[in-house]
Amino acid sequence: MAAPILALKDVTLTLKGNAGAVEILHGVSLDVQRGETLGLVGPSGSGKSSLLMLMGGLERATSGTVMAMGQDLTAMNEDQLARFRRQHMGVVFQSFHLIPTMTALENVATPLELAGAPDAFERAEEELRAVGLATRMDHYPGQMSGGEQQRVALARAAAPRPDTLLADEPTGNLDGANGAAIMDLLFGLRDRHGATLVLVTHAPELAARCDRIVGLLDGRVDRARKAAE
Amino acid sequence: MSVAVAARIARRELRGGLSGFRVFLACLALGVAAIAAVGSVRESIQDGLRRNGAVLLGGDAQMSFTYRSADAAERAWMAGIATRVSETVDFRSMAVVERDGVAERALTEVKAVDGLYPLYGAVELEPALPLDAALTGDGAVMARVLADRLGLSVGDGFRLGEKAFTLRAILIRAPDDAAGGFGLGPPTILRRAALEGAGLLAPGTLFDTDYRLALPAGADLAALEAEATRRFRDSGMRWRDSRNAAPGMTMFVERVGAFLVLVGLAGLAVGGVGVSAAVRAYLDGKTAVIATLKTLGAEGRTIFMAYLMQIGVLAALGIGLGLVLGGAVPLLLAPLIEAQLPVPADIRFHPGPLAEAALYGALTALLFTLWPLARTAEVRAAALFRDASGPVRAMPGPRVLAALVALAALLVGAAAVLSGVPDLALWAAAGILGALLLLVAAARAVRWLARRGARAKALRGHSALRLALGAVGGPGGEATSVVLSLGLGLSVLAAVGQINANMQAAIAEELPGVAPSYFIVDIQPDQLPGYLARVERDPGVHKVQTAPMLRGVITRINGRPAREVAGDHWVLNGDRGVTSSDSAPEGTVITQGAWWPEGYDGPPVMSFADEEAREMGLKLGDAVTVNILGRDITATITSFRVVDFSTAGIGFVLSMNPGALQGAPHTAISTIYADAAAEAPLLRDLAAAYPNITAIRVRDAIDRVSEVLRGLAAAVTYGAMATLVTGLFVLIGAAAAGERARVFEAAVLKTVGAVRGQVLAYFALRSAILGAAAGLVAVFAGGLAGWAVMTFVMEADYTFEPVSALLIVSGGVLATLLAGLGFALRPLAARPARVLRARE
Ligand SMILES: Nc1ncnc2c1ncn2[C@@H]1O[C@H](COP(=O)(O)OP(=O)(O)OP(=O)(O)O)[C@@H](O)[C@H]1O
Ligand SMILES: [Mg+2]
Repeated sequence: MAAPILALKDVTLTLKGNAGAVEILHGVSLDVQRGETLGLVGPSGSGKSSLLMLMGGLERATSGTVMAMGQDLTAMNEDQLARFRRQHMGVVFQSFHLIPTMTALENVATPLELAGAPDAFERAEEELRAVGLATRMDHYPGQMSGGEQQRVALARAAAPRPDTLLADEPTGNLDGANGAAIMDLLFGLRDRHGATLVLVTHAPELAARCDRIVGLLDGRVDRARKAAE
Repeated sequence: MSVAVAARIARRELRGGLSGFRVFLACLALGVAAIAAVGSVRESIQDGLRRNGAVLLGGDAQMSFTYRSADAAERAWMAGIATRVSETVDFRSMAVVERDGVAERALTEVKAVDGLYPLYGAVELEPALPLDAALTGDGAVMARVLADRLGLSVGDGFRLGEKAFTLRAILIRAPDDAAGGFGLGPPTILRRAALEGAGLLAPGTLFDTDYRLALPAGADLAALEAEATRRFRDSGMRWRDSRNAAPGMTMFVERVGAFLVLVGLAGLAVGGVGVSAAVRAYLDGKTAVIATLKTLGAEGRTIFMAYLMQIGVLAALGIGLGLVLGGAVPLLLAPLIEAQLPVPADIRFHPGPLAEAALYGALTALLFTLWPLARTAEVRAAALFRDASGPVRAMPGPRVLAALVALAALLVGAAAVLSGVPDLALWAAAGILGALLLLVAAARAVRWLARRGARAKALRGHSALRLALGAVGGPGGEATSVVLSLGLGLSVLAAVGQINANMQAAIAEELPGVAPSYFIVDIQPDQLPGYLARVERDPGVHKVQTAPMLRGVITRINGRPAREVAGDHWVLNGDRGVTSSDSAPEGTVITQGAWWPEGYDGPPVMSFADEEAREMGLKLGDAVTVNILGRDITATITSFRVVDFSTAGIGFVLSMNPGALQGAPHTAISTIYADAAAEAPLLRDLAAAYPNITAIRVRDAIDRVSEVLRGLAAAVTYGAMATLVTGLFVLIGAAAAGERARVFEAAVLKTVGAVRGQVLAYFALRSAILGAAAGLVAVFAGGLAGWAVMTFVMEADYTFEPVSALLIVSGGVLATLLAGLGFALRPLAARPARVLRARE
């Protein structure tokens, strides 16, 4: 088997909150293979989002290593991480996180532009058309529905053609119909670009569409669940 | 009933604390404090002037005559009402020091006093001797600048006219310094008796005689003034008393104070922008609360009231803070301020100016918060389920608009009435309003341009710049409030800079081009031929003008008292220079009528200055009665002519045929236009030949004027700085308010692959664009104000002054950059995961 695209080894994460330091992940080891769709499930507070953030280099592991495409994310500084994401990672959040002062088109074009793509806007337009928002390009996030905003966020994550898509409950803030549409788009994107997808979800029917499911429980990989696979 | 409900809602909401209102409070407090402080200092100075009136004047009352001493009737009347009468003679002369055959000359304002001077207060000398001791025999004292200029030390001799004097002491301060007003030269004090034989006070010489009166306790000054005026005004008597001892100074303090208050109002307007932005932001954050209250059945009115009450409480707090600050700072700095002032001031607590400042503060707060408050009524319950930043009406509704107009009118009206300079206040209000409108338009234009720019194909790929433009042009009120507040602050500064530079240029550069080198006064008629021979022979002199001069008071017009006909025109106040000429002097422009024929010897005729005649409502054929040295001369107006007072040449309102003034003692004045190199030798010769004449170097006088102007400009600049500081508060407030949004943006940008340098460049550009926009608009507005003032008030040319403009634009950029980047540190440092997680 080829080298995994994401490889986490003995990762722990300690966050300092108001009530002192809390260890959230206690030695998680996990591999994700290229082209694979991995579902991350587990009860609320089990550490799914935290793990996803670590994979995207948005959070820094307290100990252990996070390897992505053979590179050690834990050894990179902030800017190196940003450049790495620019080329290899697309992230989609539950609450969209569009920049409110930018139009849909500008939001989508931004990562391309940051990467220095000369045709950032053309590609962004294409991407928005692909998610069915050809008529909403010049709208600000405040002028769009939640479903539309999430589609913009999807287009933004997919535009740079990342090797890996990280999605954290992308349908959590949407109703059933909208959520289903988003999921179809997400899986469509994965299929079209052959991207690896890591999807955090609570919905069993979504988890069922994944190649593999990893359960988390209290900051650890849920062995019982893994065994049940 | 709904009031009680609103009050309860307001109280609950206020429990949240004041943290969101720091900028609101700072803006209001600062604006109110500045106005209160200026007002307090002004009031203290005026109070000091009032209470020390008798000392400042040198008597309880003063009667002055130009050109002459009091006559027997006047002396008798003064002796009748006063317990003591002190006589002083004021004139200008040249102090001369001869050293190794070289003569140093300097213009001085001589005060020749009697033994009673000063009636009140004491003259301060160095060394500290009594004035009497210093002035015995040929003793004299003079100001330090004069002694220094002449290289004199105590004990040295100098000459005035043909008489030698000894400098016995340096004059540090005379009690009546401030009452004298603007002098052309530093003062010298000596005994009236010592002037005998100096040849300085020949008939026709320009001098003033002042009689300071010590009055019995409880004398009715108003009644005495009325009486004296009735009896002696037509013979040129001028009255002054301790109620307003130093009218020039009082007026000056009043004007400067009023002007600073107006600048303070501009500051308050800047603060208003901040207040408005703060309230808007606060209410935006309350959309959900308001929508919920509506869902629960609250009426728009109740909600409006609830928030009006909150803002009212906060405004009261801000104003209170401002009053404490504005009242206390002058008190704390009292020793410092008092030492800086040329007049006695006792800085104390004055409720009047504080009330004035509070009124301005309250009106401003209401003016700038009413519209955002009114919008609370428009929030629909549905806002709960949609984004709050939906479409907002661009204009307030008619009722709100009417209220806003009424409030603005009230504010402007209050400023016009309370400042005491209604014209200036109205102009300033128009200027501030104009600048605000201009800035609103500019802010819109900037946002539109930024939006266009962000979409421009040419900018694609320059991500930081495009992001910045997109942010400036995008939704959210930051651009508008920064351009407005900073722009208004900078506009005031730019206007001051432009006006000052142009005034300085007009006075220091343009005027000397057209102005004479010297003004020579007190040339005796028999000296005139010799004088002219010397001057005209000099190759360095390109023009010399002479004119006989007398002084007279216009008493009647067409047989009726002049004031009844022409009102309180300045030409009627005191005596005016009167000249005569057989034929129209070269270059005279007659606007109506004709000059009298050469050698005319009929009944008296006169030519009157055109502009003044129009203001006074005079027409050809009117008979004007002028009292010259006690003699009434009635002359018929046969022509009007242009008289230009702005070039410092010879300018007389009245010119008569020579025959009409026959026999009246007079002297000649003369202007000499000469090359700079010829000036000194010419003056040396003239002064040696005619020691009685006084030469006023126009350059020196111009320097004095521009010095005073510079001081004024400095004072106003400090005022403008206060405005700018308020602008900076607003700026910092906007930056602080935007910090949360910046943190979020930075996190998202990093997530999609932005390195910190790119994020920083974006933030910096975003700030700089706003700063540059504010600066550019300010320079434009300042230039416009400068042009208007120069063109319509000063009637002079306007040229754009680039240095201060450049400073202002770069200052604007720097300020926004500092404020913006100061609040960029947290966003840059924040880890994306933490930020975005908190937002899930
Ligand atoms: N800044 C923080 N400081 C301390 N503890 C935190 C912080 N952020 C999150 N946590 C804790 O870390 C744990 C894991 O959080 P995480 O968001 O990864 O869970 P999750 O599995 O994504 O839950 P959910 O399904 O509700 O999204 C939770 O118990 C949470 O309370
Ligand atoms: Mg989560």
